[in-house]
Amino acid sequence: MSSSLLSPLPLRSLLRLSPSLRAQTFSVLSRPPPNYPGHVPLNLIERGALAVGSALGSITNPYRHDLVAALAEATSSPYFIARLRRAMLASPTGRRILRDKPRITSRSMSLEKLRLLPEGTVGRGYAAWLDREGVTPDTRDPVRYIDDPEEAYVMQRYRETHDFIHAITGLPVIIEGELAIKAFEFANTALPMTGLSLAAIVRLKKAERERFWKVYGPWAMRNGLKSGECMCVYWEEELETDAGVLRERLGIEMPPDLRKTRKREREEKRRAKEGVE
Amino acid sequence: MLLSTSPALRASFFALPPSLRRACYATATSPSASHPEIFDLVCVGGGPAGLSLISSLKSQSSTKRLKIALIDAQKLSAPPRTGDGDASGTREFSNRCSSLTPASVKFLKRIGAWENVEQGRVQAYTGMEVWDGVSGAKINFDPMDRGRVAGVVESLGRLVPGSGFGRGAEDEGAGEVATMCENSNLTAALVERVRGLEGVEVLDGTKVEGIELGPEKEKDGMSLDLSLWPVLRLPGNRKIAARLLVGADGANSPVRTFADIPSKGWDYNQHGVVATLQLDQVQDVSAPRKAFQRFLPTGPIALLPLPGNKASLVWSTTTALASHLKSLPPAEFTAAVNAAFRLLTTDISYMLTHSTASQDLDWRESQTDLRALGLPQDFPRVDSVVSGSIASFPLRMRHASTYTGHRIALIGDAAHTIHPLAGQGLNLGLADAESLARHLAIGMEAGMDIGSCWCLDGYGSDRWGKNNAVMGVVDKVGKVFGASAGPVVWARSLGFNAVERLGWVKGGLMRGASG
Repeated sequence: MSSSLLSPLPLRSLLRLSPSLRAQTFSVLSRPPPNYPGHVPLNLIERGALAVGSALGSITNPYRHDLVAALAEATSSPYFIARLRRAMLASPTGRRILRDKPRITSRSMSLEKLRLLPEGTVGRGYAAWLDREGVTPDTRDPVRYIDDPEEAYVMQRYRETHDFIHAITGLPVIIEGELAIKAFEFANTALPMTGLSLAAIVRLKKAERERFWKVYGPWAMRNGLKSGECMCVYWEEELETDAGVLRERLGIEMPPDLRKTRKREREEKRRAKEGVE
Repeated sequence: MLLSTSPALRASFFALPPSLRRACYATATSPSASHPEIFDLVCVGGGPAGLSLISSLKSQSSTKRLKIALIDAQKLSAPPRTGDGDASGTREFSNRCSSLTPASVKFLKRIGAWENVEQGRVQAYTGMEVWDGVSGAKINFDPMDRGRVAGVVESLGRLVPGSGFGRGAEDEGAGEVATMCENSNLTAALVERVRGLEGVEVLDGTKVEGIELGPEKEKDGMSLDLSLWPVLRLPGNRKIAARLLVGADGANSPVRTFADIPSKGWDYNQHGVVATLQLDQVQDVSAPRKAFQRFLPTGPIALLPLPGNKASLVWSTTTALASHLKSLPPAEFTAAVNAAFRLLTTDISYMLTHSTASQDLDWRESQTDLRALGLPQDFPRVDSVVSGSIASFPLRMRHASTYTGHRIALIGDAAHTIHPLAGQGLNLGLADAESLARHLAIGMEAGMDIGSCWCLDGYGSDRWGKNNAVMGVVDKVGKVFGASAGPVVWARSLGFNAVERLGWVKGGLMRGASG
């Protein structure tokens, strides 16, 4: 796609960007057609603005999951999402996932069936976690700002399997739990959004922050780096696997139960206050 | 010799008629048990370099009368040629083809060998596209770039009468980048030329049993001093002495070993896989053809055009991958070649290690952005591989420390071995032959002994530096493109993109190759 922004002078032509970047310097008046349904091609300036805007918005309000999603898409191209896709292509299971392109929605994941699975399996744990936190598999935004269709699927798959990581580690959906998961994903997938979202540590209370630096941060880094690529796990086939067996296969330790720790802390504080009175 | 005889004998000697006097001199140099037959130039090796050296010498007036012997261990017979009535496409193309630069073709025309080449089996190509397998950065050598070479220097040169600068842009040339020719076709043409020459004794099917220095000079005052001359021992107790011994005998040159010239370099731990491929495009005879090369981290893969819808494959890759490729059935090999030009490097290495090439090819092609990876628009699809044409050879770089010694000269692969990624091996050998012939002519015109250093040093200083430069650049290009780390890929893609935009640089490179 030729750009009307660059003149044909020879000196300017030397300063032209490399092809992968040049493809994104189209003018807003000549936007290229979408590569898949829902695709919105952005040029370099637009993507930069989206990255900055969504970063500021999501740190102000961490529950804006659509801004977090937009930040992820704006910062992953051109290198990080390509690296993740290559990592999936290098593994036999990852290739099968990319060939089948399974989607996790409430239709494809029947929660009634999952609740009937034996105790301790991945599927039962996933259903229990969804019930405990009050979320469903449908709350994931579709990918819009990644140009290559296969890379867009990788990002979609990352979003949809995020809940499975919650399920096998038992970390809750509150900010503290989410940050621990994000740190784990940063060490495991190297997506920039996961690293950037750790800036939300400033929003944690003092006790939570201390817990993060002492317990959950080191756990996340250690396990994220040493475990296998979690993106290459074919979750649909692992629903009946024992969660402990899967954790061992991947090389993930179970972190301390965060909800229990917080409850214990609250009760200690209440007892201390009652004791004073 | 005459001074040692008595005056009376000398007087009676000079009384003889001239023809009888000459016979007395002649007996001193005829082959006898005391000393071997003397040749002016003995060329060991009947490959393109040796044969073109001899043809070149015989086409120059000052060196036309040299007594030359050509020795090769194999029979130098021309391969069966099809008659005039048959289509020249009935025989399959050999898998050993070389890319001849326009300079080499000009040289071959000058020595009278090009007219013997079967023209229906050579393919000139006018464009070349080279791209990076990781980033997709590319350089497209277009024939239009040649026209743009007439830059500032040449415009000024044309204004100044008599200067050489202005001439370059007007030379003939259909704008071809190079010509693909089978090695056997070229060798047969040269053999036909050499067999038609006078004063050349072709000793083919003759293995050199040993090379030594000649015997110590005897003290009888009459025999020749051949103690510093190379003497070759041939089967049947025949010995020949060479005023100049030329080693054109390949990478493991016995002549170079005899001369104690060390050859330094390294092995690439790569093999070059060659094959003859059938393409899906139906090419008109006059259609312009293009050569393609993609740099993968394991080594470059090149598709070079042959007449009709055929092409020659040269794929430099690791030794393990090369042996795996050779073991594949033809359909899998074809899929692997198509994959190697089109897909992500991750996909290629996965498919070659998990033997799923043909299964995954269609799926991966549909999921890959081919334009972003640099695939040219006009790149053909490989339909099949000609059976029995898959072979491989080890790749290495060697350079002799010097090309000349006392009565020794090395040309061709005996002097240097190079990586095939730039297609320069044969061209450097032909350039060596041309340079040596030229310097021997200069020597002859000045009355020099052609085996002496005064004559040979000119050849060494002309060719050694140039060959070293070409080999050095090819080696470094190979190493730069063998890396897949981010900064190296970024830097080399920047360089590629810069050269692609500077048409005059590309034009200069193409003109340099055309001599």
